[in-house]
Amino acid sequence: MTGDIVQAAKFIGAGLSMIGALGGGVGIGLSVMGALEGMARNPDSYSNLFTNMILGIAFSEAIAIYCLVIAFLMLFVL
Amino acid sequence: MEQTNPVETSTVKKPRWRWGINRWWILLFSILTIIGTNIIAPVRPHIQVAPEAITEKPLVTLPWIGEIPFTNTLIATVLVDIIIILIAYSIYRWSKKGSLIPSGVAGAFETLLDLLYNLTESSAGRWAKKIFPWFATFIILVLFNNLIKLLPGFESIGILEQIDNGAPAQHLFGNVYTIKAGTAATGAGYTVKAFLRGASTDLNFTVALAIISVFMTQVIGVQAQGPRYFSKFFNTLTIFKKPIFGFMDFIVGLLELISECAKLLSFSFRLFGVMFSGVVLVAIVGSMLPVFFPSLIYMFELFMGVIQAFVFGMLTMVFMAQATQGHGSEEHAAS
Repeated sequence: MTGDIVQAAKFIGAGLSMIGALGGGVGIGLSVMGALEGMARNPDSYSNLFTNMILGIAFSEAIAIYCLVIAFLMLFVL
Repeated sequence: MEQTNPVETSTVKKPRWRWGINRWWILLFSILTIIGTNIIAPVRPHIQVAPEAITEKPLVTLPWIGEIPFTNTLIATVLVDIIIILIAYSIYRWSKKGSLIPSGVAGAFETLLDLLYNLTESSAGRWAKKIFPWFATFIILVLFNNLIKLLPGFESIGILEQIDNGAPAQHLFGNVYTIKAGTAATGAGYTVKAFLRGASTDLNFTVALAIISVFMTQVIGVQAQGPRYFSKFFNTLTIFKKPIFGFMDFIVGLLELISECAKLLSFSFRLFGVMFSGVVLVAIVGSMLPVFFPSLIYMFELFMGVIQAFVFGMLTMVFMAQATQGHGSEEHAAS
């Protein structure tokens, strides 16, 4: 019985930890929005903005990936 | 069902006709998926975060660190190293030949490295020669490690190991077994300890790369600015000159120190998280919809592998380039 409750708690915890992916999604959307607006106004700055946009995406994506790692740790390690 | 075709061809509409062809493909894939999941059911693999040790005996036992097991990611890393060394040797042979027109692998790598060098030069300026080797090495090593785990044979061929809640094993011929879908009775369940597993799905690999990257960032910073580089962290330059803001600068410097440690965390967990989640995604989608959809996931994984390799190298390069430039006023004093 206790084993089942622990198993259920693991799954619930993994699901809850993925709520943090919300912030990563909003951050990626905002950074791409800003970069695209800049590109539309000034097409010459495309390459410069593009690399910086990829970097910004990687930064905000990292937050979501921390959540994913925590979820994996709950599911497969604990 | 097939009788609808003459009606469609009489009212000639090209898009509807093409959609009709695609409809049969989708039906074919659906039927194959139903057959695949019911008759030749795919095995849902046992997922483990830590890499599996191939041999019982550890590879080496170090006095302070402890036992280092012989893991399957180690084999994949050595494989990748051999591939990279062979490529490097072929490019070396080509460069010895003396022809100026690059061809084959050498041409591809010349284009790649040219692109990367221009990128480095645009953001690092005169320190590009120092930063470029780290940047290119990280990108090439991580790229090959990310892409090689998509080859068939990775995570699927290995030794059978007895576990709880494992799948039943079936004898094929000689010494070769396969595992079937389903849950076996306790004591008769097996899982596959694969011989090969992509090195990026091992946290040790990514942490090692992150430590090298962050440490070399400090080294390049000291080479560029001398001991003044550390004033970024322990900012005592303005603490006595300005009454309150000097103290603020000191606190901000301490925050820089913390963010340097967070870089370590973010470098290692980003690469590990993306690559390991790719493995889990392929395993789960492959066990649920085994026919057509894994190829889409593989395409996505190809994309993510390239992007993550680029991001790892790019971040290393940007941090190194930042380390060579001091804070505003100090830079004016230097130049």
